[in-house]
Amino acid sequence: MAGILKVPGAFDVTPHKVSLCILLQVYASPNQLFVPFPFSSFAQHNRLGLFLLALTKSCDDILEPKLHELINQSREIGSSSIDWLADHLISRLSSLSSPDDLFNLFTEMRGVLAGQDAGIVEDDQIILDPNSNLGIFLRRCILAFNLLSFEGVCHLLTNIASYCKEVLSSRAPHEAHLDGSGVNLMEASEYENMDLENLVFEKVTEEIEAKKKAGERIPFHLHVPTPIFGLVEDTDIELSAKPTFKQSTKGKEAISYAMTLDGSSGAVDHGFFLRSNWQIQGYLLEQTDAIEKHGSSFPLNALEFMLGQLQKLAPELHRVHFLRYLNSLYHDDYASALENLHKYFDYSAGIEGFDGIPPSSGFNNSGRYEIALLCSGMLHFHFGHPKQAVEALTEAVRVSQQHSNDTCLAYTLAAICNLLSEIGISNASGLLGSSYSPVANMGTSLSIHQQLFVLLKESLKRAESLKLKRLVASNHLAMAKFHLMHVQRPVLSFGPKASMKLITSPINVCKELRLSSNLISDFDIESSMMITDGSLSTTWLKNLHRQRGSSVIFEETEPGNRSNASSFFSQPNSIPGSVSQLVGASYLLRATAWEMYGSAPLARMNALVYATCFADCASSVDAAVAYGKLIQYLAAYKGYKAAFAALKTVEEKFISVSKSQIMVLKLQLLHERALHRGHSKLAQQICDELAVLSSPVTGVDMDLKAEASFRHARTLLAAKQFSEAAAVAHALFCMCYKFNLRVQDASTLLLLAEIHKKSGNAVLGIPYALASLSFCESFNLDLLKASATLTLAELWLSLGSIHAKRALTLIHSALPMILGHGGLELRARAHIAEAKCHLSDASFSVPETSGVVLDSLRQACDELQILEYHELAAEAFYLMAITFDKMGQLEEREQAASSFQKHIMALEKVTDEEDPLLK
Amino acid sequence: MGSKEICRNELRVAVRQLSDRCLYSASKWAAEQLVGIELDPVKFTPSNTRFQRGSSSIHRRFRNNEITSTPIAGVSYVSTPVMEEDDIVDGDFYLLAKSYFDCREYRRAAHVLRDQSGKKAVFLQCYALYLAGEKRKDEENIELEGPLGKSDAVNKELVSLERELSMLRKNGSIDPFGLYLYGLVLKEKGNEHLARNLLVESVNSYPWNWSAWSELQSLCTTIDILHSLPLNNHWMKDFFLAGAYQELRMHNESLAKYEYLQGTFSFSNYIQAQIAKVQYSLREFEQVEVIFEELLRNDPYRVEDMDMYSNVLYAKECFSALSYLAHRVFMTDKYRPESCCIIGNYYSLKGQHEKSVMYFRRALKLNKNCLSAWTLMGHEYIEMNNTPAAVDAYRRAVDINPCEYRAWYGLGQAYEMMGMPFYALHYFRKSVFLQPSDSRIWIAMAKCYEKDQLHMLEEAIKCYRKAANSNDREAIALHQLAKLHRELGRLEEAAFYYKKDLERMEAEERDGPNMVEALLFLATHCKDQKRFEEAEVYCTRLLDYTGPEKETAKSLLRGMRIAQSGFPSMSAEHFPP
Repeated sequence: MAGILKVPGAFDVTPHKVSLCILLQVYASPNQLFVPFPFSSFAQHNRLGLFLLALTKSCDDILEPKLHELINQSREIGSSSIDWLADHLISRLSSLSSPDDLFNLFTEMRGVLAGQDAGIVEDDQIILDPNSNLGIFLRRCILAFNLLSFEGVCHLLTNIASYCKEVLSSRAPHEAHLDGSGVNLMEASEYENMDLENLVFEKVTEEIEAKKKAGERIPFHLHVPTPIFGLVEDTDIELSAKPTFKQSTKGKEAISYAMTLDGSSGAVDHGFFLRSNWQIQGYLLEQTDAIEKHGSSFPLNALEFMLGQLQKLAPELHRVHFLRYLNSLYHDDYASALENLHKYFDYSAGIEGFDGIPPSSGFNNSGRYEIALLCSGMLHFHFGHPKQAVEALTEAVRVSQQHSNDTCLAYTLAAICNLLSEIGISNASGLLGSSYSPVANMGTSLSIHQQLFVLLKESLKRAESLKLKRLVASNHLAMAKFHLMHVQRPVLSFGPKASMKLITSPINVCKELRLSSNLISDFDIESSMMITDGSLSTTWLKNLHRQRGSSVIFEETEPGNRSNASSFFSQPNSIPGSVSQLVGASYLLRATAWEMYGSAPLARMNALVYATCFADCASSVDAAVAYGKLIQYLAAYKGYKAAFAALKTVEEKFISVSKSQIMVLKLQLLHERALHRGHSKLAQQICDELAVLSSPVTGVDMDLKAEASFRHARTLLAAKQFSEAAAVAHALFCMCYKFNLRVQDASTLLLLAEIHKKSGNAVLGIPYALASLSFCESFNLDLLKASATLTLAELWLSLGSIHAKRALTLIHSALPMILGHGGLELRARAHIAEAKCHLSDASFSVPETSGVVLDSLRQACDELQILEYHELAAEAFYLMAITFDKMGQLEEREQAASSFQKHIMALEKVTDEEDPLLK
Repeated sequence: MGSKEICRNELRVAVRQLSDRCLYSASKWAAEQLVGIELDPVKFTPSNTRFQRGSSSIHRRFRNNEITSTPIAGVSYVSTPVMEEDDIVDGDFYLLAKSYFDCREYRRAAHVLRDQSGKKAVFLQCYALYLAGEKRKDEENIELEGPLGKSDAVNKELVSLERELSMLRKNGSIDPFGLYLYGLVLKEKGNEHLARNLLVESVNSYPWNWSAWSELQSLCTTIDILHSLPLNNHWMKDFFLAGAYQELRMHNESLAKYEYLQGTFSFSNYIQAQIAKVQYSLREFEQVEVIFEELLRNDPYRVEDMDMYSNVLYAKECFSALSYLAHRVFMTDKYRPESCCIIGNYYSLKGQHEKSVMYFRRALKLNKNCLSAWTLMGHEYIEMNNTPAAVDAYRRAVDINPCEYRAWYGLGQAYEMMGMPFYALHYFRKSVFLQPSDSRIWIAMAKCYEKDQLHMLEEAIKCYRKAANSNDREAIALHQLAKLHRELGRLEEAAFYYKKDLERMEAEERDGPNMVEALLFLATHCKDQKRFEEAEVYCTRLLDYTGPEKETAKSLLRGMRIAQSGFPSMSAEHFPP
């Protein structure tokens, strides 16, 4: 009801608790001797005690275990007494037929407790200390029972009756399903998953076996029943003090598996039951992570079903709505996402659920609706409504200022930064300028860049002062991205007179990246503080969660056994998933940065680090990006065969996310190959397909659009339609200029130079090449610069042999960069150009220096054959033949000539062979 | 009029049959309509006596009459033969069971009928079981309020009832009443589609069971579903359609239907109350008040629908009438959600919001799904500035019925109060989608857009225009439109709206700062447009007011005279800024 918050977890008597009480009575019956009747040994007796302790610890349940589940669990205690125990329990429970029986039962319970006045306690008498855990539990039960109204007692009685009935019906499971209650449905799905579970178990057993063989210690509590886990978490620390910490955590994981294994092999039905409130919260958190990680590949309906169940059981647990929101968000269901978001915040006022914010500070009258705004901003952003997103986020800024919620403010600022950098600077300018926003209070005279920069700074400062480690790190990352992507003028230059020099600052990028990775060391220190009850239960639940059908699907998609094993054992380390995700992101960004600055090996290394170390916690989209980079590297350095083989495996892996990233990659590779092979028609077709992938809205997906049109120009160039190619390139340049895509500008200029070169208009080409060169220089695009230098050299060379010397020096200046970092094509081109220079140089005499020429030509030929770049290969062989001819080596000449012919033939005979990779 | 006679006779039989089966609310409804039929002074005879002779004579009468039934207003009605009773003489056990039932001892009644095989007995047994389950469910709902609001009380009889009824249906031995009960059970179990089919079957074979119709109505959530129902054209269908249209917010269609029905049932309190409801939705408070006054005169102990009357009294701020009404219902039956809502309204009007909340709470205790109580409670929390609580209350209302536009509006209002106009817009949008003819929502929306934080004036203008088109009672929209256009520098549009506003103010004989503003603007505007005559008219009107505007008007006049008399204008600069 509005305004009244119920105290969650009010303690009331349930049938489960009654059976615990009965067991307690068995455990500590006052008039028994040293080892009470049903037990054959002292140890057995103690085990029952431990078991009861574990059960009482998890008594604040929403869903309690059924009687048969309880009995199955209790089988762990020992074989001899269990049947007696179960029978005793069932007979006691079923003998409760009137309210008076219940009254008597609880009166008896009082006898179990040692009275305060008991005074002397005999040694061999077992008496429950009223202040012990079990004693307190018993007292709470008795008190709760005494507080019950008569109606309550009646309910308890009927509940006990149905609780007992289920034991009988569990032997005939079909009957239990008749009433169709939610819990039974859950069980039904459990049955279906049994086979899968067993598979998983087998795997795990193997692992355990392997560990045994390796001589590792298996901790003693292998036979502790599952619910003891909450307890084990506590006690284990003392136990494992001796061996290294790492080992013990590994061991712990192993046990938890062993437990579930025992549970299900010993009994037919190991029910899936969620435990305490905390654990449900933990479970929901877990699901949240999973949704965010797997994106749209997360099964929509399975979770939806689960949430439906949960909501039925706990209508006031509002976080369910939030999960619904996330679920539909990632499945692109706008209406439902919006609806659930609003519902969640209407009900919970944003107070329930957000961690990291101490609830006490937020519990003022006003609620935390700013978080709602933040979320709705993100929602609109996700669905591509930047205008609404900006409105919502600015409102979030305002409201969080109003409520002095600095944390939210910092996050909101970060979100705005993200928004600004993502939606493209282009259409944001109209957006921010027009709307009345706090962002605009810095004056609209600043360009959107500068606004973004100032915002980032602001956000970083705020996050630092609030000690939000993760936010600081991600802000550093954003900053690095900013430095990477945006070409700056000095911020403080105003007026027309200020120098218009554009630069990028790789040093800043590097600095920011370093700063963001510092996070991980900070977290080591903090980790002990970060783990709350909730995440403990999450750990506990991991095991349950793994068995469920939905997650088994993921198992297959994970890369091989390696990650399986590592996720089992690395799980309990103290670094939260979000942190390692951030650190991973920094590696990904590093890879991108190196890619741009032109060091392919370093880019590859970083991508590799990401793919190996962070694949487990990465979202599938990020992982796809990393793999994409690796494949691109393969294509450029190892040829298409290797790249396509890798692509195939990656496609299988990301079968569900392949839509964008992998698709684009595939098209890029195919296009490249088509160009090299001279299939211009096919190239054009692929190019069109690529263009279709980008969104039709102006200002969105600019990268992709630029890429498509760049490739279009290249295709036209390859088809020798020079004027059309030049026109497309011009248009592209204008677009890039308009949308501030400076890096693309540089490469477009280079392309224009290339077009003019090919069209035989070298004089026109040179200024373009020079312009590109100067762009590259100021933006620190080293590899592009080298290739621009190469083009320049080629241009000079085509102006006549008098310029051969100059061209040669240019090539030589670029050669170290090209040979160190360039791809196969670039290297081959450099070699050919060098050979050409030598050949056309008047002072060059063939017999003397032919070694140099032939060497570079041979290399070029090898590289080009890998790439199947027929046109250039033909040229290289042609040159080779000429050289051999000059040298008088006729045999070799013939050989080169025939290779030349082969390539020319291949180029002319454009076979439209069915490409298996193209649908 | 023959049709009246038909209705009357059919209803007479139906009342008896329904109350025989203990379907009391349906028989109450039928009886109310029966009395609501206008008496034909010519044919009028003390007809009651005829019915006490047993049912056979009635059957005979019907067989004669049904052929001659005349269609009303072009609608050809299907006449459904009145059901034959299978056992004219009720068994002794049946009589006993019915007596138990009447004493609300449902289980006992069902027990007595356990071995009976007559259709009537079987139905009564099932129905008694159903009601026993319902009663227990209600009790349990109060007894069991677990943590996190777990409320899993269900009618425990549903499973066995469903089994039994489906078996009966398979046998073909189910009667329309059984079908109705079966539909009810299925609806409760969530099988809406089948429930709809069964209810349709039930009303087609026995149209006089209003309970079946209203269950069916609650299952018709969209107009498409409504139109897809294969219903026979019985006159009862008109009642159904009128109610369904009302639920689907097709108020005018609904009103037309009711008015048409009033031709036959001119004294029906039910129809009157329904018309009042529709008028209330159309915000015709005067009419609603008149209707309710008459209703209360005829039926002074009526509690149903009286909460709506109290809403009207609240809106009109009739303190004493509201307190009188509250007192009256309180004396009649204080433990009705309606009564509690009325009292809550009274306290709210008095400004005692805590007490008012207490009574709304009580209403909710009595009926957790009492929509208006949630909404009204939300209003109270808004008054008390407890926005989170208000949001919660409104949200619950909306979750009960997503068409509750007032609660959506309230949610928007709450968020607007918290300074989140953008967020509030979502709710206003929802609200206005459901009630596009309500100018208040449009105005609230426009105000959100107009807020400094959003400052989306174009959108605001659009909203105000909508508001102005859908009878804006307080006449805010026109004035705002004029002002916004002036701010945006669109003087022609501004002048147009000022003029309209002026006309309206003249028509309603209102006066005030808005009038002055409009006159002043129009005067200067006309002068700038060189329409001196018009400008003069406005200026002279301004002279009637005191304050700086009078001076401005004077100087304007002076300037115009100078301009008109041929002197080069040097006066334009006269008026103060």
